[in-house]
Amino acid sequence: MTENRPLSPHLSIHKRIPTAVFSIFHRFTGFALSIGSIFIVLWIAILALGPNYFFIYKTISSFLIFKIILFIWTIGIFFHLFNGIRYFFWSFGIGMKLKTVHNSSYLVILLTFLSTIIVWVAV
Amino acid sequence: MKGYSSKWIRQRSTSVVLVPLTFWFVYNCIIFSKLNYSDLVLFFSSYLNSSLFLLMMISMLVHAKLGCETIITDYVSKKKLKTIFILIINIIFFLAIFVSLISIVMIINQNK
Repeated sequence: MTENRPLSPHLSIHKRIPTAVFSIFHRFTGFALSIGSIFIVLWIAILALGPNYFFIYKTISSFLIFKIILFIWTIGIFFHLFNGIRYFFWSFGIGMKLKTVHNSSYLVILLTFLSTIIVWVAV
Repeated sequence: MKGYSSKWIRQRSTSVVLVPLTFWFVYNCIIFSKLNYSDLVLFFSSYLNSSLFLLMMISMLVHAKLGCETIITDYVSKKKLKTIFILIINIIFFLAIFVSLISIVMIINQNK
């Protein structure tokens, strides 16, 4: 019975609308950053345990993959932050004209990449 | 519903707190990359830095908890499974707040 029910259109056949892509990516980065926040807790806990435990962090941070993850993390932080500011204004009905929505999405991309580059040039 | 509007407000109020604190933390992370252990401990021994860090961690973990709960309510349809997932999320994030609090207290005491 349940198998014969009509199916809703599959997501993959829809044209990818920028606002939808931004929304999905906002969720995705939000979830990834939540996992990241747990790693910040582990980092501060290692720091609190004393110098004998700090070598764990020193060892992990010496790998190249650590730097790559940190770089992707930076992009995620800035995307979620700038896009979040956009959504915050939307919550109050500000900037919801279609043209503003598109322009602010370009601004989010621009600010995300500029901030990420600034951080990694400074490091 | 009352519960959902309170969540909506908490999600947004924590995000407002997080905007300046994220810039502050990312800026300090650039400095952290050049510091050794004792310098890092010295950084968190300052009451200003440790309070800002704790404020950031608590807002961040509450914000993350609310966000993860929303994802679960949206994608998990089985009621029992939903309750279990939300319970796990709550335990993880409250434990995380507790650990960061204890850690900061330990770091401040270490330098005394």
